[in-house]
Amino acid sequence: MPVGQLSVDAAILERSKLRDWGQAVLRFARQKPLGTVGAAVVILMVLSAIFADVIAPRDPLETDYARQFTSPNATAWFGTDAYGRDAFSRIIYGSRTALIVGFTAAFFGATLGLVIGVASAYFGGRIDMVVQRFMDIFLAFPLIILALAVVSILGTGTFNVALAIVVPMVPRAARVCRSNALAIREIPYVDAARACGFGHRRIIFRHMLPNVMAPYLIMITAFLGQAILTEASLSFLGLGVQEPTAAWGLMLQGGAEEYAESAPWLAIFPGLAITISVFAFNLLGDSLRDVLDPKLRLL
Amino acid sequence: MFPTLFGVAVFIFVLMRLLPGDIVEIRLAGEGANVTQESIDAERARLGIDKPMWNQFVDWMGGIARFDLGQSMWTGNPVADEIALRFQVSLQIAIMATIVSIMLAIPLGTIAALRQDTWVDYAVRLFSITGLATPSFWLGILIILGLLVFFEWLPPLVYTPIWVDPWANLSQLIWPAVATGYRYSAVATRMTRSAVLEVLREDYIRTARAKGLWEKLVLSRHALKNAMLPVVTIIGLEFAFLIGGLVVTEQVFNINGLGKLFVSAVGYYDYTLVQGLVLLVAFIFIFTNLIVDMVYAWIDPRIRYG
Repeated sequence: MPVGQLSVDAAILERSKLRDWGQAVLRFARQKPLGTVGAAVVILMVLSAIFADVIAPRDPLETDYARQFTSPNATAWFGTDAYGRDAFSRIIYGSRTALIVGFTAAFFGATLGLVIGVASAYFGGRIDMVVQRFMDIFLAFPLIILALAVVSILGTGTFNVALAIVVPMVPRAARVCRSNALAIREIPYVDAARACGFGHRRIIFRHMLPNVMAPYLIMITAFLGQAILTEASLSFLGLGVQEPTAAWGLMLQGGAEEYAESAPWLAIFPGLAITISVFAFNLLGDSLRDVLDPKLRLL
Repeated sequence: MFPTLFGVAVFIFVLMRLLPGDIVEIRLAGEGANVTQESIDAERARLGIDKPMWNQFVDWMGGIARFDLGQSMWTGNPVADEIALRFQVSLQIAIMATIVSIMLAIPLGTIAALRQDTWVDYAVRLFSITGLATPSFWLGILIILGLLVFFEWLPPLVYTPIWVDPWANLSQLIWPAVATGYRYSAVATRMTRSAVLEVLREDYIRTARAKGLWEKLVLSRHALKNAMLPVVTIIGLEFAFLIGGLVVTEQVFNINGLGKLFVSAVGYYDYTLVQGLVLLVAFIFIFTNLIVDMVYAWIDPRIRYG
């Protein structure tokens, strides 16, 4: 076969792959309209985080004491806060903070949990027991309390908050991945791989991990919503992202009573942003779960 | 149960001592240049945090064995007293929030299951997914805003025990209970819905209907009773996590409960108080798990532990 022919085949293959992807997306949209709405909101959020500089009408940090507490109007859509900062711009930039913390926490939490869970299931026996007891200790803490404890060691700030949310995520991910991996371990191809003389690492990473990918992906979307909520809660308590960084939880800080009189809109829009984005991630996660792995429906 | 609790104790003990800085530095910081190294050392010695770590741990564990959690490093009062004061408030909110979430979850979940794939079902599901996505502190802020704007009324700020004045007590604590309860109802609603759906497909439901039993009885005696098993688990597990949710909600409503105590104790590096609180939360969590297991056996006679 001439070389040219090969590259043409490759091009056709590439295009049909693209078409497969397109079809998969279309099918997903038809089967799961709600999930598609979720995905659309997530994409919108990612875009607004990336292009925050272009979208936001003003600098989110720019203070202007001449415009304190202006109510929503044509120039400041969501009004301004006590420092005269534009609330709409701060919400746009806040999506950046939320996504950075959310993705970091969900990705590292789920991935660490995946490796620990699968390895624990693979080795079984005493190792499995010790690892599980260890995870039990972490699971005995409500998520926010563990995150609070970790924040108090690491200190506040965007990166530390993300790290603090990773810690409670790991045991939760590990538990789910372990139970999935336990079933996979019994499938003969794992025995076959062992019979071929492959090492533990190769079997875990090449043979078992790829088969736990469905729950892993679902978990990441579910964790993303939770991580965004936790970040907002921590920031609200003053133990998360710090001023003057734009973050939704931070914008809600400072008692409702004070704002109710002067500027109720300041309490409404950031909360809406949190709710809508978590809502979107949950919808997307639920639909992904139904499509990828119906067994996990009750998770 | 006890090994896990012990693990929690070790973990939080070490974690607290990894914190940069300690309570003495915070307390003496106000005095500025007048602080001498001697006075810092004296204060550390008084609190016993100059001893080696294992020594402090043994002291603490010895205390716990005698049901003595030690003294708060910040206020000097016994930790048990500090906690007991707030515990009744938080416990009441947690119980009320659980009641709110049961009252929302079981009827809504059942209706959604009975009217599967109709607008009722979709509305219930939307309601519960929204609950899961709404931060309870934001809901709290909205509740306060609403009360202020529409009724020009705020819940009382001073806590009254329920046996002194039930009305004053409820009018203060019902709002945080609603704010947290709504969020926790979400998972329970979904669980109720899927459990009822599953049970309705069982043979014994068909039998019950076939013998001409009233639909009401079929639902209450046969369907709901069997569907409650996973729901009880979820509600039980969530009760333990409610304490975590309260950390933030109490802040919004300015309620002096465990959550607020925890946040301020962490801020003051009050080792003994944080340790006591964390141990309490972990104990509640593990203990509720145990209770859930026991309720299981009571609801479902098929499950009996040997």
